[in-house]
Amino acid sequence: MKTISQDGLTGRLCSLYERSGYRRYKMSKFEEYDLYARNKDFLVSENVLTFTDLDGRLMALKPDVTLSIIKNTREERGLEKVYYHENVYRASGGTLGFREIAQTGLECIGDVDEYCVCEVLSLAARSLLEISPDCELDISHLGILCELLDRAGLSTGSKTSAIRLMGEKNLGELERLLSDEGIGVEISTKILCIARLDCEAKEASLRLRELLKGVVSDESLELFCDTCDFLHSEFPNTVKVDFSTVGDLNYYSGIFFKGYVNGVASGVLSGGQYNGLMRNLKKASRAIGFALYLDLLEPLFEAQDDFDADILLIYSGDVSAAEIYGAAKKLAGDGLSVCVMRECPQNMKFREVYRVSTGGEAVREK
Amino acid sequence: MKNDFINIALPKGRLGDNVYEMFSMAGYRCPELENPGRKLVFENHDSGIRYFWVKPSDVAIYVEKGAADIGVAGKDILLEYRPDIYELLDVGLGKCRMAVAAPKNFRDDPRKTLRVATKFPNVAKMHYSKFGRDIEIIKLNGSIELAPILGLSDVIVDIVETGATLRQNNLEVYETLFEISARLIANKSSYRFKGEKIKQIQDGLAAVKGAKND
Repeated sequence: MKTISQDGLTGRLCSLYERSGYRRYKMSKFEEYDLYARNKDFLVSENVLTFTDLDGRLMALKPDVTLSIIKNTREERGLEKVYYHENVYRASGGTLGFREIAQTGLECIGDVDEYCVCEVLSLAARSLLEISPDCELDISHLGILCELLDRAGLSTGSKTSAIRLMGEKNLGELERLLSDEGIGVEISTKILCIARLDCEAKEASLRLRELLKGVVSDESLELFCDTCDFLHSEFPNTVKVDFSTVGDLNYYSGIFFKGYVNGVASGVLSGGQYNGLMRNLKKASRAIGFALYLDLLEPLFEAQDDFDADILLIYSGDVSAAEIYGAAKKLAGDGLSVCVMRECPQNMKFREVYRVSTGGEAVREK
Repeated sequence: MKNDFINIALPKGRLGDNVYEMFSMAGYRCPELENPGRKLVFENHDSGIRYFWVKPSDVAIYVEKGAADIGVAGKDILLEYRPDIYELLDVGLGKCRMAVAAPKNFRDDPRKTLRVATKFPNVAKMHYSKFGRDIEIIKLNGSIELAPILGLSDVIVDIVETGATLRQNNLEVYETLFEISARLIANKSSYRFKGEKIKQIQDGLAAVKGAKND
């Protein structure tokens, strides 16, 4: 598995977003708790670290960045393109406590049009490619999916179940659900075909036009298919259409996507058009964005060196400070790291050990 | 470990033996596994697969975290832990049901908090929250049937296979929550990067299941 440097990656991502005209959004670590209490379902975890500020307000260490950015967006500005590289504080899945997690991402908020959607998806694909060429960006369209399920006449509860089963690629149970709900054969077949759809973007746009023309609104279908065609032309080996890529319908209403990198067990990037969340926050504008979870990339980051330093330089009390300094400087001249100690420390490893004696000469020990 | 192998987590016990038999019939035999000795991991280089036995309740975790690319886990475990995985196939083995069981002639008194003993607290919570029923969950790790007999709980939520243990202890099924069977599950990232091979295994198992049913 190819390893990468964490600092190098962060720098490259920030530069990528800046070159596309996204401004860095710097924010405080704290936010009023109320914002998260009202939008709990949007958060990865409901647990939020809280504290009472000196003025009595209940505050939280940010578990999420998107909500704060939306809250501070001024709709009269038209279109805002921002990116962030921040730490968030969450109770993480397997651990029994809170963790500080580095997260990078971007948001495009305001008069979001077809170009903005393509731009954000391209940046998501390019972010994954910055991590590894062995990556995949899977996209779907929750609006089209909902329209299709509404057309079939599924109740709200069954629609939620159908979307969950699609997300699990559980086609057996999905078929049973459609049959139990008495959904007609023709539309059931279309739903199952969409649930099975997992292919290159170009092929997907052909299949979608074939399957859904006249079933869902022409405008959504054509826009999505055009986006697929564009993504295929730019990222033929990276982007796939997979309708098991689903998110919360209360927040996401259009294109939804997830990114994977070979060597990491779960999705490392997640995003979509969150117009529903905007409505919940009483904003009229549209929005799309994504987050890249840097903590999940740990398996790809460079392994720690087997040695604590290249050279250990040992000195005794009768050697002057100037002589020790001179010997260390000489050894470090070749670009090596030199640790200077009176004796060999426990639990540390060095490639070579030198001893400096009176006169300032360093002799390598066997 | 070589990354191009498909790592398969099998549940220890009778279910696991039957699952391995299905894999074997689908063309994924591993002679090493049939004479295990003290080994923990078994490989078949020709078919590029690697098996390991894990506790049935741990299969989903191994798959979700990517230590295994695929595995076979009971629907009960999937509904209790809700791992972020793909559920590709009902392999049709380990059939049983999740049920509420209670002493014979039990009557649910809605004025009182219902005490529910179970190994599956999330499943129990999910079931009763649908009716807004006030319950107290008593999480146990075994001998669940003992709880209502000794007055520790009013009912239990547990797996029922034949119902023989319930009958022997003067308990009966009060209501069935859902049917259970073993499922082929896959890690979401592995499905992206080893998808072709995983789909071949899925198709192979589906064919074996179909032949068994015929």
